[in-house]
This record gives sequence, C-alpha cells and structure tokens, in this order.
Amino acid sequence: MEQALHEICGSRVTTDPFELAPYAKDVAYVPAILVHFLTNPLPKAVVQPISAEEISSLIKWAKQGKIPVTVRGGGSTAYFNCIPMKSGLVIDTNRLQGFSGIELDQGSHKKMVWVKAGMTWQDLDDGLRQQGCAVCSSPSSAPSATIGGWVSMGGLGIGSVPYGSVHDQIMAIRAVTAAGEIVELSRPDKDRAKNQGSEELGLQFNDLMGTEGTRGIITEIKLLVRDVPEKEEHLLAVFNNETDTGAMMSWLGGEHFTSLYNVHFSSPEFIMTLQKAGYAHEIPPRKYSLEIDLEGKRDEVDQAVAQITNHVKLQGGTLLPDEVGAEEWADRYKSLRLEQTLPSLLAAEMTLPVSNFAAFYERLSKLGQKTNTLCVTYAHLVSPEMALVMVLYPSDELNLIRYIVDLSFTSNLYKLGHSLGGKPYVIGFWNTPYLGKIYDKGERERRRQRKQAADPHAMLNPGKGYNPPNIILNSYVFGFGMIMIGLFRPLVLKILKGGKGHWKLLKNFGSK
Amino acid sequence: METIEELREQIAKTSYICGSCGSCRSVCPVYREIGWESSAPRRKIALAKEVFLKKKEKQATVQYAQRLQECTLCGKCAEICAAGIKTRELWLNLREDLRSRGMEHQSLTQMALQVKTTHNISTFPNENRLDWVDDLDEVEVEVSKAGSEVAYFVGCVSSFYPMSVGISQSIVSLLDRANVNYTLLGSEEWCCGFPLIASGNSQQVTELAKHNVEKVRALGVKTLITGCASCYHTWTHEYPTILRENLGFEVLHATQYLAGLIRTRQLVPGSLDETVTYHDPCDLGRNSGIYDEPRELLQAMEGLSFVEMPHRREMADCCGGGGNLAAVDKDLSQAIAVKRVCEAAATGATILTSACQQCVQTLQMAARQEKLPLEVLDITELLWRSLEE
Repeated sequence: MEQALHEICGSRVTTDPFELAPYAKDVAYVPAILVHFLTNPLPKAVVQPISAEEISSLIKWAKQGKIPVTVRGGGSTAYFNCIPMKSGLVIDTNRLQGFSGIELDQGSHKKMVWVKAGMTWQDLDDGLRQQGCAVCSSPSSAPSATIGGWVSMGGLGIGSVPYGSVHDQIMAIRAVTAAGEIVELSRPDKDRAKNQGSEELGLQFNDLMGTEGTRGIITEIKLLVRDVPEKEEHLLAVFNNETDTGAMMSWLGGEHFTSLYNVHFSSPEFIMTLQKAGYAHEIPPRKYSLEIDLEGKRDEVDQAVAQITNHVKLQGGTLLPDEVGAEEWADRYKSLRLEQTLPSLLAAEMTLPVSNFAAFYERLSKLGQKTNTLCVTYAHLVSPEMALVMVLYPSDELNLIRYIVDLSFTSNLYKLGHSLGGKPYVIGFWNTPYLGKIYDKGERERRRQRKQAADPHAMLNPGKGYNPPNIILNSYVFGFGMIMIGLFRPLVLKILKGGKGHWKLLKNFGSK
Repeated sequence: METIEELREQIAKTSYICGSCGSCRSVCPVYREIGWESSAPRRKIALAKEVFLKKKEKQATVQYAQRLQECTLCGKCAEICAAGIKTRELWLNLREDLRSRGMEHQSLTQMALQVKTTHNISTFPNENRLDWVDDLDEVEVEVSKAGSEVAYFVGCVSSFYPMSVGISQSIVSLLDRANVNYTLLGSEEWCCGFPLIASGNSQQVTELAKHNVEKVRALGVKTLITGCASCYHTWTHEYPTILRENLGFEVLHATQYLAGLIRTRQLVPGSLDETVTYHDPCDLGRNSGIYDEPRELLQAMEGLSFVEMPHRREMADCCGGGGNLAAVDKDLSQAIAVKRVCEAAATGATILTSACQQCVQTLQMAARQEKLPLEVLDITELLWRSLEE
C-alpha cells in the first residue's frame, strides 16, 4: 500500500501510527468505547496530494483495491464528518493552496476567483484584501476551516444574511469523481451544456454542495468575491429579555438593509461564562446581546445605523459604546474562550426560523431549569428568516458515565428545535439518526439516488449522510436509547453532584 | 512553578481548555512546513491532555518529545487561539516536563552545559565578549564605568558571532554619536538565560539572572538597553518573575531607547535612499508588545521608503530562529526563514530589517541560500548606515 501511495504522492504519505492517530479525531470528544464500538476511525494511510491529478490517481488506486476514501480539510467539524468509518485512506487537502487572479465577469460585472480547496477562509480573505477584495461570507471557524470543507458542509456563517449560503456564491467547481475522473462543473443555470460530460460520469454541480465529500472530492472552486466595503460599523445592543431580542432579530431580517452583514446573538449565560473567564466585562450582567455588523457604502451604513439605533430604543434595548461592538467583532472567531470556564462542552447546532427564536429560547431555559443543565447559547442570523443556533452545555469528559448520560441531552435539544421548525445543521456520522428530521422522505430518496449515481460503490466517505450506518443509529433505536439514557441522567448527575449545570471542577476554572 | 507536580497540574488544566478547533494550525510556521497534524499545536495539546489529564503516560513517546521541541515559541498560536489559551506558556511548561523526564533534545543538553561552563552560548571564553570592540576605530568603549546613565547588555549572538557583531558595533556608535553616558558589562555579562528557558531549563537561569541583575545594579545605571529581542523579553518578563522583585532600573530595547533620542533630537538620523521592510521579532513584537518604535526609527530616516509585509505586527510570521529550533532541526528552521525572506522580497524591498540579532542571523542565511537580492540588517545597523552615508 505504502509503495503505491509513494508512487503517486512521493513523501507526502504516512502510515506511521503516531501520524495517523490525529486523523481519527475531529473537534468533538467522543468516548473511545463508543467510537470503537460503532466505527473503525483510524486510517491505514494519510496522503497529502498537491493536485487534482494526484487525487485522481489516488481514487483510481483506491477503487481497484475497494479501499474507502475519506477527504479531510481543517478537521474543524464535530460530527465525524471527516473521520473514516471504515478505516481506509484519508486524503488531506491542506496542500491544495492558492488562488488565481481576480476575474471580472463582463456580463454580470461580478468579481470572482478560482481558489484551491485546502486554503483556509481566513487566508483567502487576507490574500484578497491585499488586492482590495474580500470573501462575501465566511464560517465562524474561518481561521481553520478550509474552502472545500465549508462548501462540503452547510455553508452558513458570517455574511450569510446578504450573500446567502456559500453554495450560492460558487460559479464553477473542479472536482475528482468517485471514478477518479477530473471534472469542471459550472452552475447548472449558467452552462448546462458544459456539464453534459460529467453528468454521464454521474457527478453534477449540486452533488458537491453540502454533501460532506460523499459524492466527489472538491479540488478548486470559482468563488464570487466582493470589493472591500467602504465602511464598517459594529454595534452592540443589549436587551432585557428573549422576547425583545427575538423581535429585534426578526425586525433586522425583515427590514432588508442592504448593509446588514451579520447579526450575532449571545445569551446571558454565554456572556456570564465569558465574563468568568475574564472577557466581555463591558456587557452588563443578565442581558441578551446582539452584535449587529454593517458593511457597505458609506451612506447606506450611516442610514442603517440611524434606523437601527432608533429601533433598539423602541425595542427597549441599549446600544453599548462603539468600541464594545468593535471588540466583539474583532473576537468573532473566539467563541471557544468560554471553555476556560467550561472545558468539556457538548453541543447541538441547528437552523431555526428567526420568528421562533424567542419561543425556542424560552423553552430552552425551562428545559435547562427542569434538567439542571446550564445551556449556553449563541446564534447567527444566516438569512432574513433563519438563524443558526448553537447550544452548548457542560459535561465532563473525564467521567465516562457522566459524559454518556449527558449525550442524551443533545437529543432533547434537537427535539425542542424540531418542534419549532429547527433542523440539525450538518449530518456527518453522529447526526444520521436525525436524517428524518432534516429531510422529508422524498428528499432522502433523491439524495440516495444521487449518491448511487455519483458513487455507486459507496467508496467516498462511507457511513455518512444518507442512511444510519448502524442499527444503533437507526432513528427509532437511537431515539429509544436516548430516552432510556436520559431517564438515568438526573440520577447520575445527582450521584456525581454535577447536576447544577456546573462542571464538578468548575471552581478550578474561570475567574482570572 | 514550585514543583513538577504543580507544573503537571497546570499543563493538565490548560490542555483541558483546548477545543481542538485548529485555528492555531493554519498560523503555525512549523505545521506549515511539516504538514502532518501531529505537528499542529492542537495535536500537541491533545497529546498533553492524554498524558497529563488522563494520565496516559505511554503517550509521552520520543515522537511526542520531538514534536514539542519542534516549535519556535513564536506565540502566533496564542494570538489566534479561539479558546484564549496562553500557548507559549504551555509549550515552556511542557519542555520543563520533558527535561524532567530526561527527554530533552541532546543539542539542548549540550547547550546548557556550554552556558554553565562559559556563561555564554558560544564555545569562546566569556573574556572574549568584547572582541568586536577591537574593530571600532572612532569609538571608545568603556566597561563597568561607574556613574554611567545607561548600560548596554550586548547579548551572546552579537558578542561572539562574526555575522552579528555589526549590531553591537552600530549600537555603541549610535550611543556615542548621541553623547550618551553608557557602559558595558564586558566579561561580567553572562548569557541572559533565554535559550535555557526555551529548552525547559528555567532552574539554571536563576543563577544567571541573579548575577546579571547584581552587576547592573552595582553600576547604578538608570536604564539598561539591549539590542536582542529575546534578551529584552527575558529581562522584562522573566527576571522579575524569577527573582520575585522589581529590578530597580528601567529596561528598554535599543529601538525604544533610540526612538527616544530621536524624539528629543539628541540623535538625528541621516538619509538613506532604499526601500526597506521590517520583520517584527516574535519576542519583541507579539511576546513583548513593541511594534511602533522600530517603525518610528525607519520613518525617521530621510529618503527611506518603508513598505510593510502582509504578515506584520501581531500577525507577523516567525523567522524560524526562535525556540532553539535550529538546534533541534536546522533544516526546518531554515525552511521557515526562507518563507519569510520570500515574503519580504515580494514587497519590492531591497533591505529587510529587524530588531533581533537571532532573527537577522537566521534571515541572512535564508536570503543567501535563496540568492535573493535582499540585504538583511538589524535596524540599528541601518540607522548607523544612514549617519555614515
């Protein structure tokens, strides 16, 4: 195996167990007993190709040996999206670096660049800004998330309000199919004829959007970019309750300000947790905060600021001094600072209609009180109607039983979100039991057909995205299991004295 | 840290905070060269978590030790860390632990012995510290002169390494030109201890700190200046902690002191018709917070066109010469330096300047290796050149 891979990628191959081990992990901690019961995550080899041609050769080689292939970018997701289920080969795309000169489309007058899949969003943005341009939107993990990675996930984040999902910003895409062919696919409505050849091979443009590397491997995308905005303003408004905050979010979405770039919600618990770690002291206690970011033409930004300032007052809120908003914006990629206070967090991330945000938060608070769980919430507005909500709660990865019973609470959060029109944001491996909550029956069937057409031998990232790969993850079995484990949770927390929403060693963390 | 147990508890606590997001990965100069996840800061912390928090001692392997020592201590990972971890402190603690396990790199053990024997990092006796003075024709350098206002702490590299003595010669020439009443410590200057701290051997630094502080106090100076960014960081950040007391005199980097002289017109820079870029040394910039004064010096030189590199100030890339990396893996250190000089050359600058003898030395070698049309100089050398021309 090693020799064959060396022939393709030279020294950019490893089979050393020390080097392989990190490729069996992503952001989330999952107890080894669960991981090894359900998966075989340690790859046999990891390769770092530098071109589509090398990836093509790797896929053809893997196909011959029926070796599963999992593609990995920044490894910054939490649902085993880029972790092998059946060992095999991991293709690490991080050496696919660089972007082309900025092109101006004569017809649409839009600017775009070809960018390689392994660049991080932060690096791309930094590079573009040297030329007077910027990315339209970016993930909240921009310093680590790669171009290919975010396109393969949900594609929602900072800047999604005006620019939509990143999937909407891609004009063309270069990829390697499950058969090892290199293809270039334009947006279907733009250049349908050009796609004919690749359709015969089974791969379509949309097969690569949010499908977690299960139908093809992205090597490069043609991405819309924007001019660096003339002006930026970062406002930080605080409110007394979730109703006013939710109403403000809905109003912001509904007003369709051309310069509204991003809205970020922080719950009082999130702010309190940050404050315990020595941050965000300018924000008064027990307040709900909205960071409102405006970018665009000077007059548009100024007008929006005036209107928003008035509406904040109408809604019973208060705007904090400008520098507080600017600081929040500067720290927009640093939400994990709350781990200084709560170092072992579990999470549920979901999209939710903005109109239901206040109701969700209210019910979440009640659920937290009922189950003695501290729920720490933040959210982004990702469209005028939709928010991407992250709920975090403390556990203790040093205590296996506590951690496993705590996992059941994620199920409660998804159930709550679902009752208000919410859906888990990405699938990966761990969210396959919720497929039925994310897609209706018809859509699930259509997805399965596309997978079959694009990757008939189920070689690419097997076990993700389509069917629960294991009886344990069947929605009914899993749901029943979570209910049963959930029943034990209060007892376990009581015995472990961990039921007050505080990690048992919390006293050792936090206040500096 | 009082005991090894306390040190390990601190490591456990810090490693638990890491959320493995990987922001650190993309800015780490070592990961950018090696490319494997094992070299990324988040993986090193994950291993520390296994060893110290989960007590899986078997994970402390030779490869683990190698990866921990393949780090320039540039601190860029701390700058970007989404969890706000003070990673540089963590790397130093982990190196202290490696040493206690007998897993320190052989070159570092040798270097520690060298410092113990000669009180400097070279193989020369410490009495040779002022050999570079012999080449100065017009400046008379006085050693341990009582009543001096300023003491200049030269640092090992620009005392002993021929490539770097131009820095010390320039600094004394500038002080002399500005009529500053200064003195040197001569052979009473001992290594500041920075290389020992960087190799996890902070215990050995106590003796050096005590000696150096005592000698400077004995001179009765108001100000101590140093041309080396790492010496500066050690004097300002480490010595007060090690000695648990205020030093009793002001410590400034040469760029800060010279900027002060220019502001009061005690020193008037000359002109220089060059395009120049500036590399922020990690120990002066990110790790000590000094960004403006070096730029002030450059902008004070008439005719000089100053261009910034894309990676600058808090987000400046490392030169590759920090953290004893060259002693552990010279090629890796050089590869990092090559990236930095290429970034400098891409600005169109003909001179790359810095404010650290180690950075200058590392970048000079890389520029030569790449045959770039780029002269690498310390900022004090450039300032002196402007006066000479």
